[in-house]
Amino acid sequence: MVDNIGGSSSNAENSGMKEQDRLLPIANVGRIMKQILPPNAKISKESKETMQECVSEFISFVTSEASEKCRRERRKTVNGDDICWALASLGFDDYAEPLRRYLHRYRELEIDRSTNQDRGNSPPTRGGEGS
Amino acid sequence: MRQAGAYSGLLCGGVSGRTGPHSLPLARIKKIMKKSGEDVKMISGEAPIIFSKACELFIQELTRRSWIMAIQGKRRTLHKEDLASAVIATDIFDFLITLVSNSDSHETTSAIMEVETVDFS
Repeated sequence: MVDNIGGSSSNAENSGMKEQDRLLPIANVGRIMKQILPPNAKISKESKETMQECVSEFISFVTSEASEKCRRERRKTVNGDDICWALASLGFDDYAEPLRRYLHRYRELEIDRSTNQDRGNSPPTRGGEGS
Repeated sequence: MRQAGAYSGLLCGGVSGRTGPHSLPLARIKKIMKKSGEDVKMISGEAPIIFSKACELFIQELTRRSWIMAIQGKRRTLHKEDLASAVIATDIFDFLITLVSNSDSHETTSAIMEVETVDFS
């Protein structure tokens, strides 16, 4: 299985996965980087590319930890709580708490939304279904 | 994959509303999750949504730390070496050391030398 997404971007030999599939879009990544930096800061293209690689590695790293927990507990589905747990377990405590609140808020809204649908109320306008 | 339209602004703070409720594409996140291991079978709908936020926090933190490196080098342009230095200086980013060292090991070696003077505590 893929255990090294590193190296230059010309390395496309990752289980047949195309580059655009294994990385998050550079525009999105670059935008988040830009938002946190001072207005006069510049970001080299190479550092955005490196950040793309780092984020994918982060996702894999945390997912593996979460999925290992599911395996131990004989559960098939990795859920939001597992992700929060994995983050805390791997040292990302600062993320785990705000994300747990985010997750609970999300779940509350989900329950509200499905309750409203059951009653025949139309939900607030949503964006498209997405990919 | 369902986009959560009701969550615009939910704890999003400064996240740009122009890109929709989440700044990162959920389907792509899900693909990357699936590729992370053989035993990743099923992923709940909420997991990519949580990751979207987690990745944002991750990018922000790594960017901030890298920027400190750039400033120390008296530069206003973030370079790859700055990311490498930040990774080396931060314990929780140890999983990225191989990744940032893969190309340009010469740059990384000098980064390791510089980093010893930085105190993130």
